Amino acid sequence: MKMNVAILSAGTIAILFILALLAGCTGTAPGENVTPNVTTTAPAAGANVLKIATTTSLENTGLLAELERVYERETGMDLQFIAQGTGQALDTARRGDVDLVLVHAPALEKEFEDEGYGIDPRCIAYNYFIIVGPEDDPAKIRNMSAVEAFRTIAIAGMNNTPGVAFVSRGDNSGTHAQEKALWKEAGYNYTTEILDSGAWYVDAGKGMGDTLILADEKKAYTLSDEGTYLSFANRLALVPIISESTELMNRYSAIAVNPAKYPNTNARGAADFINWLISDEGKQLIGDFGKVEFGKPLFVPLYAPECTGPPFNCTCAEPVPTPA
Amino acid sequence: MNGNPIVEGFIEAIRLIVSLDPQVVEITIRSLYVSLTATFFAALIALPLGALIYFYEFRGKHAVVSTLQTLYALPTVIVGLVMFLLLSNIGPFGFLRLLYTPGGMIVTQTVLIIPLLMGLTVSALSGIDRDKRYTITALGASRLQTIVTIIVESRFAVMSSVLLGFGRAISEVGTVMIIGGNIRGATRVLTTAIALNTSMANYSVSIALGIILLAVALGVNIALSLVQRR
Amino acid sequence: MAIIEARDIRKVYGNLEVLHDVDLSVEEGEILGLIGPSGSGKSTLLRILDLIEPPSGGELSVFGTDTVAERSRWLDLRRRMGMLFQRPIVFNASVYDNVAMGLRYRGVSGSDIDRKVKEALDAVGLSRYIKSRATDLSGGEQQRVALSRVLVTDPEILFLDEPTANLDPGSTATIERIVADLNREAGMTVLISTHDLAQGQRLAHRIAVMIEGTVAQAGSPHAVFHEPGSRKIAGFVGVQNIIPGRVVSRQGGLTTVAAKDRRIISATPSPADEVFVVIRGEDISLHRREPGYEEAENLFPARVTAIESMAPFVNVTVDCGCDLVVLMPARRAEALEIHVGMEVWVSLPAKVVHLVPQNGP
Repeated sequence: MKMNVAILSAGTIAILFILALLAGCTGTAPGENVTPNVTTTAPAAGANVLKIATTTSLENTGLLAELERVYERETGMDLQFIAQGTGQALDTARRGDVDLVLVHAPALEKEFEDEGYGIDPRCIAYNYFIIVGPEDDPAKIRNMSAVEAFRTIAIAGMNNTPGVAFVSRGDNSGTHAQEKALWKEAGYNYTTEILDSGAWYVDAGKGMGDTLILADEKKAYTLSDEGTYLSFANRLALVPIISESTELMNRYSAIAVNPAKYPNTNARGAADFINWLISDEGKQLIGDFGKVEFGKPLFVPLYAPECTGPPFNCTCAEPVPTPA
Repeated sequence: MNGNPIVEGFIEAIRLIVSLDPQVVEITIRSLYVSLTATFFAALIALPLGALIYFYEFRGKHAVVSTLQTLYALPTVIVGLVMFLLLSNIGPFGFLRLLYTPGGMIVTQTVLIIPLLMGLTVSALSGIDRDKRYTITALGASRLQTIVTIIVESRFAVMSSVLLGFGRAISEVGTVMIIGGNIRGATRVLTTAIALNTSMANYSVSIALGIILLAVALGVNIALSLVQRR
Repeated sequence: MAIIEARDIRKVYGNLEVLHDVDLSVEEGEILGLIGPSGSGKSTLLRILDLIEPPSGGELSVFGTDTVAERSRWLDLRRRMGMLFQRPIVFNASVYDNVAMGLRYRGVSGSDIDRKVKEALDAVGLSRYIKSRATDLSGGEQQRVALSRVLVTDPEILFLDEPTANLDPGSTATIERIVADLNREAGMTVLISTHDLAQGQRLAHRIAVMIEGTVAQAGSPHAVFHEPGSRKIAGFVGVQNIIPGRVVSRQGGLTTVAAKDRRIISATPSPADEVFVVIRGEDISLHRREPGYEEAENLFPARVTAIESMAPFVNVTVDCGCDLVVLMPARRAEALEIHVGMEVWVSLPAKVVHLVPQNGP
């Protein structure tokens, strides 16, 4: 198989040249591929795309699809929602991989803003978390307050009362943060006293929809946002046991990623979208969502001055400054 | 909703496919687009590299080939994680803004199947036995003519490896979920859509997409067996 | 001047020495048969001579070109030669494309390729398969495709590596006839390796015997078969009688050797004191009674101890003080009513008794 050196080296050079060309092609390829998007929706990349990290509970209700449909038709902006838990969504934003977040965990949000990653927070709407469980309510928590109910479930669970179980999101989402806050108020240390305290406490590590399906299969209690529960209700045997307790208030906020940290984010698009969300048009859309399908709205839009006082204590009306 | 949700889901799924439901069609086209493009670029890179490894003797050649074969079994989630760290805005290639885009998915699937294509290319070319190579040389082929003849002769085996690569790319869920983010209308593909719709109990859409994914996999296998029969 | 001249050729694969000290020259226009047991290095030597792979050492000149010094000319030289391998090798393409390969490598024009390929396929009787996929043909047909693929390039030297080992007698005869015709009519130089001794004798003008990685002997078929250079060559070329002995006297060109209880006279000059007596079975005559007149120098009474059929011949083993094997036609053995235990006489001329040294190669 050996040939003379000249031919061999010529062959080598030819192949290397071809390889270099190929490498060049592939280097530019992804950029080229983004532009002629095969689907009709997205002229992707740059100023026409707004990437939003959000929570599974918002995505699962179908609200985001509705917002996207209307906003894209009005502005031509391509909204791209990446559904994660609130904790993960905030981390995605901390890395600058998205332009804004749409989340529901006030304590985590504050951290995010204090670190300087998030700017211009606006609360948009709220609803209630609900404690859902089997119709026969084996732990007998109906009519209790949320904190009492949690304490009762924990005691029954740890005593191995038959039929009592609780499924947790376990994914560091906003709902999970709320659940942990309730265990704390009920007098438990979440990490040492609840986690791994027995078979009654099931750590799902999944999104809201999955968690509801799992709780349904196990005939267990779980904490859910009302919107997701309603959109899943027709597939579930679970019923709301406790709802509209002030301890269960669930507030959604939009926060832009700080362009000072990541200059290549779409800061202008983020500001525009937040302003649209807090506009009357946006609020009405949110307030009407679900009326037709579920017979009641899934979210209650926040208006000033109600939002500035307890229990909300947030900004909901003042437009955010639009960057140049 | 009464009756068995699986049976109803199945009937609804057939309806979604037959009526060319826009959501189903869009996801299918995107899946094919991403994986076909990734397979194309992976083939452009891996086939010449595989040929280079096969045709040139160098120190450590054996180690390279066995490393490639080890990489076949590389967990896709690991590839996803590494590519995520590279493509994230805080990573070295963050400036390309490829995370959560179809481009990023293409790059990742390309990286994912390159070892497979390279290894299989080496195997395909190695399928040309010694006597055949002697025959080519004896017939008066130059070095370049020898290479071309061997590649042409192993074309069906090489095509098989490309088809296998495509099959792996399109049926892959871990990396596209991490890198694509499963964005509706932008990066949602068959596998991630099935995962999402199952978690949302939209079994009919899951089943419809599953049938399509199966059909694509079946098509790849039929093509494979046709090619291998040559 | 020799068309191929090889000296001290050596070939090593890893730690395995396949060829050593190979000296061989091939004259233009001759058919050289390369015989030897499996694994003796015949195929490797042919590949080195055809410049398919380089030797690990030694000198090799082909067409008068020093191939060690002029590696850049290998491709040109190789294109003047052709080789047919033992296993039928066809490529996954049409018969036409298979036969055209060598011509395409040489950059021959399309119309010339077309004409030559059709002629070549006519010659081997495969015209009707011209568009068929070559891999669909039978083994014998594939080998004919392979042969025409070599012949369309008009090689000046043709290498055949056990070309008929896997073929039926009919295909074998066809290929032998084509090779003999090409040599006679076109003056093509042919090197053919075979382990079929009869094929070697039929085709070759000259024979080289390879034993354990080297050319042990080269010469006319008669010399190789009747005067093998060593015990191993004698064994390989099928000599029935290889008997250890000791030289007891040398007189007037005749050597007397004591082999067991018998003294045998040989016309071979004694190469050593300890020798092997080498006698082909067919050179020994067997008689029912003592011949009245016998020119042969050696005439012994003997007793038949075994008869082995080698249809259409028989090997008759006799004890005449030492064991001798006599090869004779079965019909003649029948006519002589040979049977075990029979008392007979054997005679053999001194010139058929060949001696090789015991300590030789």
